[in-house]
Amino acid sequence: MALTITCPICGKRNGYEFKFGGEERGPRPDEKDLTPEAWCDYVHMNNCVAGVQKEWWFHRDGCGSWFTIHRDTTTNFEVEKAEAEK
Amino acid sequence: MMNRLNNLATLQIDSSRKISFIFRGKRYYGLEGDTIATALYSNGIRIFARSLKYHRPRGLYSLDGECSNTCMEVDGIPNVRCENTLLKDAMEIKEQNVKGSLENDKMSVIDKMDWMMPAGFYYNTMHKPAKIWPIAMKQIRKVAGLGTLSPDFKMTGKYDEIFPTTDVCVIGGGPAGMSAALSAAGKGLRVILLESRPVLGGFFEYRLKEYKEGQSFHERARELAAQVEEAENIRVFTHASMIGAYNNNLITGFQIGRESDCFDERYIEIRAQSVIVATGCIERPLLFENNERPGIMQTGCALRMAHTYGLLPGKEAVFSIGHDLGLETAISLYDLGLKISCVADIRREGQDSELVAQLRERNIELLKGSVATMAHGAKQVNKVTIATVNGTASQDYNCDLLVASAGLTPVTSAITVVRGRLKYDDHTGYFLPDQMPEKMHATGRVLGLDNALAIESSGRLAGLQAAFDCKACSIAEIGEAENELEKLPGPTQGTKLVIAPVKGRKSFICFDEDTTIKNINQAIDKGFDVPELIKRFTSAGTGPGQGGIPGHNLPLYVAQYQKLPSISIRSTTVRPPIVPTLLSTYAGTNHAMFKRTPMDEMQREDGGVFRNIGVWQRARYFSNDFSCKAEIENVRSNVGILDGSTLGKFRISGPDAVKALERVFVSDMSKIKEGRVKYSAMCNDDGCVIDDGIIVKQGENDFYFTTSTGRAGSTIEWIRYHTRYDGWDFHMVNLTDSMGVINLSGPNARKVLEKIVDIDISNEAFGFSEYREFKIKDTISVRAMRLGFVGELSYELHVPSSYMKSVWLMLNEAGKEFNIRNFGVEAQNVLRMEKCHIILGQESEQRTNLLDVGLGFLWDRNKPKAKTVGAVALRQAESDQTRLKLVGFKMENSGRAPRDGSLIVDEKVRGYICTARDSFTLKEGVGMALVEGDLTKIGTRLEIYEDECGDDRIYGKVVQMPLYDPEGTRMKM
Repeated sequence: MALTITCPICGKRNGYEFKFGGEERGPRPDEKDLTPEAWCDYVHMNNCVAGVQKEWWFHRDGCGSWFTIHRDTTTNFEVEKAEAEK
Repeated sequence: MMNRLNNLATLQIDSSRKISFIFRGKRYYGLEGDTIATALYSNGIRIFARSLKYHRPRGLYSLDGECSNTCMEVDGIPNVRCENTLLKDAMEIKEQNVKGSLENDKMSVIDKMDWMMPAGFYYNTMHKPAKIWPIAMKQIRKVAGLGTLSPDFKMTGKYDEIFPTTDVCVIGGGPAGMSAALSAAGKGLRVILLESRPVLGGFFEYRLKEYKEGQSFHERARELAAQVEEAENIRVFTHASMIGAYNNNLITGFQIGRESDCFDERYIEIRAQSVIVATGCIERPLLFENNERPGIMQTGCALRMAHTYGLLPGKEAVFSIGHDLGLETAISLYDLGLKISCVADIRREGQDSELVAQLRERNIELLKGSVATMAHGAKQVNKVTIATVNGTASQDYNCDLLVASAGLTPVTSAITVVRGRLKYDDHTGYFLPDQMPEKMHATGRVLGLDNALAIESSGRLAGLQAAFDCKACSIAEIGEAENELEKLPGPTQGTKLVIAPVKGRKSFICFDEDTTIKNINQAIDKGFDVPELIKRFTSAGTGPGQGGIPGHNLPLYVAQYQKLPSISIRSTTVRPPIVPTLLSTYAGTNHAMFKRTPMDEMQREDGGVFRNIGVWQRARYFSNDFSCKAEIENVRSNVGILDGSTLGKFRISGPDAVKALERVFVSDMSKIKEGRVKYSAMCNDDGCVIDDGIIVKQGENDFYFTTSTGRAGSTIEWIRYHTRYDGWDFHMVNLTDSMGVINLSGPNARKVLEKIVDIDISNEAFGFSEYREFKIKDTISVRAMRLGFVGELSYELHVPSSYMKSVWLMLNEAGKEFNIRNFGVEAQNVLRMEKCHIILGQESEQRTNLLDVGLGFLWDRNKPKAKTVGAVALRQAESDQTRLKLVGFKMENSGRAPRDGSLIVDEKVRGYICTARDSFTLKEGVGMALVEGDLTKIGTRLEIYEDECGDDRIYGKVVQMPLYDPEGTRMKM
């Protein structure tokens, strides 16, 4: 796999070791007054950014932690946080 | 067998070790170190293959697999490129794509019908009317093509894969690549060096010309190779070709194993900080009439035949070349005894004066500004017409060998796949790297360099540039290396001649696809104006050689024919795999690996019939009666023992452990009492049930829980995912492999267990749904639960894996007087089905939620703060009437049970059977099914459609669940 991912604990590793966990969407919303539409948006609707997105990865064949990285979806390169937040 | 040259320092063959092989059913001999092609050549074979379309005879042309000329069937594998496949003992070799023999191919008459087949004639003619095509296609396939694979062919061999990581990856083990590897390694970096030939050395390796005072090129190659092999931080892969390059400097390749290796081929995936491409040059084929007749070969091929394999490739030769290497080859081969009629050099001037002087000393005629225009001879070359480059004067020369080469051309495929940009260079006539991507460098002859010292110097520079990428070298050092290189001679002028002065009806630009110059003209005349399109229309460069032969000539010729300026010359794109690779090499090692439980060996001895279940191998049956009658009846009436070690087992502890459990399990975990077993389920965010298991409290904030076998691998990931924003303090340990599980079930279970434990396990002291921890023989810690999955009195014992066998043997010993016996997964499946206990994945599918399978009672709605995964969706689904619900059913009129997965129908599909069996206990066909809401009422008739049943239906009736022991007295006794 061409992708490499930088695990905060184990460092830069081969993409084979990780499992994708979806786009970053923030914590679970409060269930009080939650409409079915809003819930569906939270669970299923992706932004599918063509560019830099923050996303979750799980180091399955490693330390077993969940963390976020910034990845440019057009090049499949991980990018530095500072650049991503410009 | 031909006599081999000996006493040459460059020889790679061992004349003392003969290797026998079978060719066309006859035994032949070669030498160790031979390729298949050189061994055949030494046995007088000159025609190696017949071409794809015209069945023209083809011979040895290059030695690096640039064309399909030597493709044969080896040990059942078609299209093996014999010229770079090493000969092994007892190989069986056959020709392919011939009717008759290689010498007399009945299909060769097609060669005379080429006028009927202009470029793209299939596309143009075979579709009017459309129904011709299927008929025509069958005929064409019989005639054209490469080898065929027998349908019952089984691939054998050992395939491996490795994924090394390194600082610098050097592609190409010639002088530039080795110099680069040495200079990068000198900076303390780890280097991987890939060389596609079996030995390091590149184009230095097989030359005996003087490199410097008292040292030949060959000796210099050996000197560099020795340094590389001695360097501790250089890992060398020989006989290893690069096949692709991807993001983040990922290089893929494959290596062919030697006799002593543990693999035949292995896939290599290298992750490097920096990549150096040092792939050197191949030769640019010379285009003239019949330019691929057997007996015509490239200069490098002719020289390596003699120097590497000790075979003088002919008796009387003509040379038509365009480069000093051609002159050098002529001199070397003359000195080894080859008669040379003449050497025609495309160049009018610019030859190395020393080489010219040496030719003169040997009285070899040098014709400057001349070129071969036609090779004569039906199956093998016997005469060559040499003409001046402008075609004004010509003369014939007799020969049995024509060494032909228009010039050199860098091997750019590696540069293209690493996404370097190429640009046509007018001075050298090469495609040179114009812009290399970040942390990618090109070096040596791919830069057009020609001078030996400059090649090595450029290698050292590239090594330092790679070291700079790895922060192990300063800018100043690179500057010094650049200065050193600048002082050395730069690229020399190359020949521009593309085609001899001929019309090109039988001048082949691509050997693999039988594409002639005339075909290219036809394509251009039809309006295909760029090489990329012409390549597709004529299929030039799409064969096994991957553009090795036409790669350079095609764009040059297209530009010349269209009279375009050289600036607009564009090469065609190369894509991985750039070298043909076996699929078994990509597949790598055998990935069918399974986990085995601690009881595996003993259960096999007991006659267990094993099946792959998820990542495990489990005993499914214990006899050849797959209805498991004896196993089932024994559990219902006596006592059975089952290995349940595949169950997922976890410990979760910490101040926030309860919160984490409440997040993923639907039940209220704060109410769990010590000594009790809590059954619960997990849902996903859609409320669909994904797992069920039991939870027990071991101490304050310390729980032990189980999951189903299939979910064990992803449970920790799941819990951590759904708590990732919360920052809760808890820890999890996966105990699945360190704990085994024994399920002891049946009315006599207590009598058996009593005999090996010291505590009171009467129904009053250890009741149903309770949990106990105790020790057997003061040593073995056991976690025991009273569960009722199979519907009988049952103990589930969780035992450390290392003690599993001991406890198992003790129980069997204790149960001997009751005739205790094994039961397998299938018996358990029937037993629990009678009791209507679900197995997720059998009584549920992706869309089945907690309420659908009747487990709604597990869900505690009063904990919204826990934000239980699935609760939102469950609330929304509660009032949904359209969902499939789980029901139990019996067959009408004592009919047999339907097959699992059969459909419930009326006018349309209304549901399906989950599990159904002819129950020995209930003496009728029973099962569970998921059906639409209006079919769930007790007594509803179910119409069941089985696969291939036609108009016949069988019928069942919805009944109350559970089917067996509705009051549950048996499991509570």
